[in-house]
Amino acid sequence: MSEEKKFDRGSALSIFGSDRREDFMALLLALVIAFGVYLAY
Amino acid sequence: MVYTKKSPALLIIGVIMLAIWFMADSGALSGYIEHLGGKKYKYFTELTSMPLYFGIIAALGGLWVLFGAHKEGQLDYYSSAIAGGMFILIIAMLVRWFIAPEIAVISTMMGKVGDTGKYIHKLLGLNYVVIGIVAGIVIVNVFRVPEWAENGVRLSRLGLKTGVILLGTLYSAAELKNLGGLSIIMIGFFVLGSVGIVLWMGARMKIPNSMGGVLSAGMGVCGVSATVAAAPVVQAKSVEIAYTIGTILLWGVGCMFIFPIVGNLLGMSHVQFGAWAGTGILNSAQVAGAALAFQPDGIETLKVAEIFNITRVLVLPIIVIWLAVWYVKREESVTETVNVGRVIFEKFPVFVIGFILLFALSSTGVFAPANHYKGKYFGNTTESGFKESKVLKSDQRSVLSAGMAQVQRQDRKDALQRLIDNGKVMSIEDDDALRGLINAKVLSSDANKILKGAHKAVRHTAKKIKAFREWITWLFAFGLVGLGMQITLSSMKQAGGQPAIIGAVVGSLKAVLSLIVVMMLVSETI
Repeated sequence: MSEEKKFDRGSALSIFGSDRREDFMALLLALVIAFGVYLAY
Repeated sequence: MVYTKKSPALLIIGVIMLAIWFMADSGALSGYIEHLGGKKYKYFTELTSMPLYFGIIAALGGLWVLFGAHKEGQLDYYSSAIAGGMFILIIAMLVRWFIAPEIAVISTMMGKVGDTGKYIHKLLGLNYVVIGIVAGIVIVNVFRVPEWAENGVRLSRLGLKTGVILLGTLYSAAELKNLGGLSIIMIGFFVLGSVGIVLWMGARMKIPNSMGGVLSAGMGVCGVSATVAAAPVVQAKSVEIAYTIGTILLWGVGCMFIFPIVGNLLGMSHVQFGAWAGTGILNSAQVAGAALAFQPDGIETLKVAEIFNITRVLVLPIIVIWLAVWYVKREESVTETVNVGRVIFEKFPVFVIGFILLFALSSTGVFAPANHYKGKYFGNTTESGFKESKVLKSDQRSVLSAGMAQVQRQDRKDALQRLIDNGKVMSIEDDDALRGLINAKVLSSDANKILKGAHKAVRHTAKKIKAFREWITWLFAFGLVGLGMQITLSSMKQAGGQPAIIGAVVGSLKAVLSLIVVMMLVSETI
């Protein structure tokens, strides 16, 4: 895919090197948001 | 490679966001908001907060892009994604706050379409979700994504996954139990059926076993992630993976736009549509897109659809084992052994576990009071917290009485009668029955409004839960606009030949059969 050549890291669909890493980052982000909501409201 | 492109674009985005906030907050936009619906315009609170926070972030980021020193490395790589992220966000903002409401105004002025009794924007589902995805597709295929935004556009899937994980906070245990039971039966049947049919058709049409194997996982389970997980066990080649992903994408994009139109024409309830989209659409992101397109200003359909989607992902290990056994039996020349357990462990989507984790955390009552899901204003006395002013007036009771004949289920009739007699919802069971009645859309819109008011009077949404809903809505809006920017014609052209024929046959079968099953078996409330 031509898009892949634009980046030397990640894939055409994600800035992360693997799906697993993206999943963990999503989990981390969700926990940060949840903590923020817990504190703010 | 240095990813940060020296461009004023991010700073300009920040300034535009701050200008939107300033004009909304100072009242300069009030004339336009009146034109967009006045009191019915739902986004004023968002307009006076979100662009301020994100405008500051974008403006500061823009200054860093212009005047900072950028060297190759982690900081450059990840910070350069902010520009693309803000590019997606400002498009989502403009579409949700201005473009979609403007289209609704124009459509309403044009009048209802023939005998359907619906305005064209309702009929075609032209809401901020659909328009946002279309905007993304147009940008990438007609204008191209600007160079400075390319890295950040790849954040969209992160947004969708974060949204799915946070959805875990919105389910009650009872809801999950009821939806889970139904989804296991439907998903079990349709996933195993789709995989079986693709493998059978593949053998009949003599496509390579590796192609048939990887296509069956993609068509049966959850699109792209299943394709990637199944690829090693059937030793699929890169071109076969690309064909499968192209087929899924082509099919999924079509479904994402067609499903909500069919759902509206058939008058499906939120539960019915969520169950259908979660079963019939192949890819996770497109399931979310269709669910939000069907119900853009609520989250009930998305909740149902995602439970079905997550159940489907949970079937993935079974499919991988099935394909491993199937492939070894059919390919006598297999010499390379694949550790199936390791493939499952390495490829299983962790975000599903994140969803379960957030659900477990939410079940402890940390985000909402323990009685949030139970409701607490069912008592008839003011001491129990109920306000007399919330009791239904006689004209409202008359509207409900007039609709009684249209209600067929006895539990709903009884609940409605109790509401008319008492002027308020009397129990959690009645509340559930009446919400089912709203979803069933059998009563007039006036009657439904009264029922919604009666529901709100007894069950208040906790502030934290409201905040989660807003976060989830925006994460999905962000993810879906970005998803549109990744739907390139070149990626869809990868679909073709026999895999596309098999994909079309199995995809159509799955969509039509699951629609029939949903319409026959799924009640409006579960």
